[in-house]
Amino acid sequence: MGIRSLFRSSWFVASVTAVALTVSACGGKSPDGVGVVPPPPPPPPTLPPPSNGNQPYSDPTVYSSARFASLASAVEAAAITRHQITLRGNTIDYTATTGLLTARNATAGAEASFFYVAYTMDNQNAATRPVTFFYNGGPGSATVWLHMGSFGPKRLVTGDPSTNGATPFPLVDNDETLLDTTDLVFVDAIGAGYSEAIAPNNNQTFWGVDQDARVFRDFVVRYLTVNNRLASPKFLFGESYGTTRSAVLANLLETAGIQLSGVVLQSSVLNYNSNCGVVNVVLSCSGYLPSYGATGAYFNLAVPAPTDLLVFEQQLRDFTVNTYAPADLVFLTNLTLPAPSVLDQLQGFTGIPVSLWSTNFNLAPGTFQSQLRPGQLIGRYDARVSAPVGSPLASQGDPSSTLITLQFAAAISSYLVDFLQYGNGSTYVLLGNAINTWDFSHDRNQLPDTIPDLAAALAQNPDLKVLAVNGYHDLATPFYQTEVDLARLGNLPNVSVRNYAGGHMTYLDDTSRPLERADLAAFYQSALAQ
Amino acid sequence: MQPLRFLLLTLALPILAQAQSVEPTGPIQTELRDPSVPQALRNVKPAPATQGAALQAQVERKLRESFDAADVAGSGSLTRAQAQAAGLGVVAKNFDRIDTAGTGKVTFEDVKRYLRSRGAKL
Repeated sequence: MGIRSLFRSSWFVASVTAVALTVSACGGKSPDGVGVVPPPPPPPPTLPPPSNGNQPYSDPTVYSSARFASLASAVEAAAITRHQITLRGNTIDYTATTGLLTARNATAGAEASFFYVAYTMDNQNAATRPVTFFYNGGPGSATVWLHMGSFGPKRLVTGDPSTNGATPFPLVDNDETLLDTTDLVFVDAIGAGYSEAIAPNNNQTFWGVDQDARVFRDFVVRYLTVNNRLASPKFLFGESYGTTRSAVLANLLETAGIQLSGVVLQSSVLNYNSNCGVVNVVLSCSGYLPSYGATGAYFNLAVPAPTDLLVFEQQLRDFTVNTYAPADLVFLTNLTLPAPSVLDQLQGFTGIPVSLWSTNFNLAPGTFQSQLRPGQLIGRYDARVSAPVGSPLASQGDPSSTLITLQFAAAISSYLVDFLQYGNGSTYVLLGNAINTWDFSHDRNQLPDTIPDLAAALAQNPDLKVLAVNGYHDLATPFYQTEVDLARLGNLPNVSVRNYAGGHMTYLDDTSRPLERADLAAFYQSALAQ
Repeated sequence: MQPLRFLLLTLALPILAQAQSVEPTGPIQTELRDPSVPQALRNVKPAPATQGAALQAQVERKLRESFDAADVAGSGSLTRAQAQAAGLGVVAKNFDRIDTAGTGKVTFEDVKRYLRSRGAKL
């Protein structure tokens, strides 16, 4: 990191501060963005002149993530930069394309302007070279976590789960990038990053399970068409709510005749009706028990101490199916606790004392986060991250999220300018407000269950392969619940699951990321052999 | 450079929090983290987790709905051009394999038979 990039990071923070100050001083604006004249953003940052095939793009558009905001019109333009990376002795030339494409609908015309960053290997045969669309979830999240942390050509070194990693997080060439396997397109949902609806639509138009998936379908079609990639093998790679989106989107794409080769589900929430951490109503939390066990073992609280995580997790699955889940069902029906020996076993598996199991037998993940280690709050996204109650890291309810959020926000802002040579004066919105007014209804349910969508995609395309990857220490989308949800599909050879040490973002873990990369490479190989 | 930057970050935070209640402008605008739903939705009765025949029936209904949506005339059948125009690419692209009788029109039952022949449990 040179002086210039440090300056860029400071520029980002300064711009946020300046805008926030302007708004606070004016006051009285509608939170929905109706009738609001937004304060003029700072001018786009200065970009280097075109050179060596690079074409910087200074985008003058002012973007807004506000609920009822929309662009009057949109321009399809992009910055283009040339790069090299050396992977296992092979030098790869690649191009980064950073800009906007307009999703269109045959009847409604231009719908929304999508911001994306595409990394494409140079001089490849479009008919055989795969292309993968990556997106985070929220809903309302920019695709900053997958883009800057997972399998792109560059990644931030977080040190996760350590809270003592170097800051700012160093940006390095990514030895585990999938660029040698597939082209990578990181795209932001509407109302996140720099993606925004086009009038007469507004951002809220696309804030729903079905509305969002339809406009993503139209973006995918637009990207493939503009770049002559309709013949390329196609993959989806969504994380968290992005897996909900992937199931719905996969079905829509198959229906539209856009055949997919594979879908990667990173830390799934395929069915909101099965995750007790999402709703208040009485719902069994038994799907979390194997994650509680993994976390207890990580903090040396499981007795006897397990020697092999894989063996231990199988014991936990068996105990959940045979003992805890049935006992939890009885408890939820008539508040009767099982025999004391079951509570003893639960303490042994997790480190949560019998006394707490007696009062919280259907143990919710939030309770587990605050009660496992007295005086400490453990992470929701990565339960291995622990911080003293009252400390800055614990102040927002998830130390593992607070640990990385501002670092990623600063990093993406400077990266867009310095590496990708795309300049825009608006704030790159990491997490917008979409979730607060999202239409979660889907397929006659008030909360989405997307297993039928995945099943419908597989019915339309029997060659489609699905890989679910999860972290053992994720208390947001527990791996075992994902296994249970996917088991509803029956025992399909096309659907497989891989679990790793780590949280929601398994790829942040330096031990797990190479393992996940190897599994992904094998997955792509098998999907392409179809 | 580094201490200065840290200072800027810590300064930015409370101002950001203030701004959230007025007009969101910072990189983080909501307390709700993935996955979660707004308060009003947290008390809805969870839908049952279908599997086996019930799940297959759901899949068939979904496929039938997309077929019916393309069949704007409600005739019960589609030509290749109609399927194409309605965005039902899966039917348009595989039309000849679905239209085994060569009538130029396919019904939902024809589509089902085609998908079954490729391994779909319908």
